[in-house]
Amino acid sequence: MKCEQYQELFTDYMNKQLTTEQQTELETHVAGCDSCGQELAAMKELWDELGDLETPEPSVNVKVKFYAMLDTYTASVAEKRGFWDRITDNSNKLWQLQPRWPLAYSMIVVLISFACGYWVFYSSRTDKQDQQLQALSSQVHELRQTMMLALLENPSASERMRGVSYTSEIKHVDKQVISALLATLNNDPNVNVRLSTLDALAHLSDHPEVREGLIRSILDQDSPLMQSAIADVMLKLQEKRSIGSFKELLKQKDLDRGVREKIKETITQLI
Amino acid sequence: MLRVKTGELEKMGLLFERYHRVLYGFLFHMTYNRESSEDMVQTVFYKMLKYRNSFTGDGEFMAWMYQIARNVLKDSYKKKSQNVAHYDVTDFADRIDGGTAADEQFEIKQTRTELHRAMKNLSDDHREVLIMSRLQELKYQEIAQILQTTEGAVKVRAHRAMQELKQVYLKRKC
Repeated sequence: MKCEQYQELFTDYMNKQLTTEQQTELETHVAGCDSCGQELAAMKELWDELGDLETPEPSVNVKVKFYAMLDTYTASVAEKRGFWDRITDNSNKLWQLQPRWPLAYSMIVVLISFACGYWVFYSSRTDKQDQQLQALSSQVHELRQTMMLALLENPSASERMRGVSYTSEIKHVDKQVISALLATLNNDPNVNVRLSTLDALAHLSDHPEVREGLIRSILDQDSPLMQSAIADVMLKLQEKRSIGSFKELLKQKDLDRGVREKIKETITQLI
Repeated sequence: MLRVKTGELEKMGLLFERYHRVLYGFLFHMTYNRESSEDMVQTVFYKMLKYRNSFTGDGEFMAWMYQIARNVLKDSYKKKSQNVAHYDVTDFADRIDGGTAADEQFEIKQTRTELHRAMKNLSDDHREVLIMSRLQELKYQEIAQILQTTEGAVKVRAHRAMQELKQVYLKRKC
């Protein structure tokens, strides 16, 4: 081995990490080699000095602090465990106090009684409510009808128009209402009232009496405005039975020229 | 330590009595700061309690303790990286010298301070290996376990550390 290789072993030698063979080999080499001897001496000196480096004692604080920390830590761990145990114990106790089957049985009874009570109460309530509601709505209906009929007799034209407008709010129009409306259509002194009555009747064209009344009314109207309005309604309803009445109307000599042309046009369209 | 793991936390006291001096020594030579070393001893023991379940019992307790200590050191380096670490080397040298004769005292003080400075200038890896092998008298095999490396690697590192220390120290002395 070369000196260099021996020198690499110095640290291990001083550390006493060499095998006895390596150790004796190194020692014999160093004894016969000056440079290695010097090197080892220098290293040894450094090694000894290094070993003499003193380490101060830790202060008492370290110990005090450690035991304080250990106590708090142990306490916190114990507390955590204790808290959890208490919860599980209590819940178990609760369960034992209330044996399972009786508890389930009483729960079922409670549920059934709730259901029964709800069912009885709910069904009786709806029956009563329906009856009341029907009575009320029929009352309102009657009231409206009477009011409408009364309004149609009113001397004021605007009040009569208001009465006509109520027809749209009456659900089931009976014959009394229709005849009252037709009377207004033919006899009302005010053109505007008659026009709005015509509008109202046009919406009630599902009733055959209304259609017949309207056709009959063609000849009774003398205002050109009403004549052309009726012509429009007839066209809209595609009422072919009105053609005869219109032809009759055309025979009148004092018929307005505009109306005459309009009626002719209506007749051709209806045919 | 295995008994601590199973819940006998008070057994940690025994381990503390047995090992806290060694641990303190290691931390002191790694930092040359008494105060922070004491804090770190506390931190290491706290971590050993907290992570007691990670101790498998496969290796030595010492190795496990050193590994935790090294991690604590790394953390403290990170924290200190902003403000330059200060070592109270001279302060320490003043304290350890007792009542020897004036001249001798001066020389010893000088040597030790110089050696401390040299140690301080070593890289952490090298200083660590020298502290463990020389001052704590751990065997290479034990060091290898702590550093999680082979015995051969520790041997090489120890040799290099001695060479580096010699160079740094002699340069300062001359």
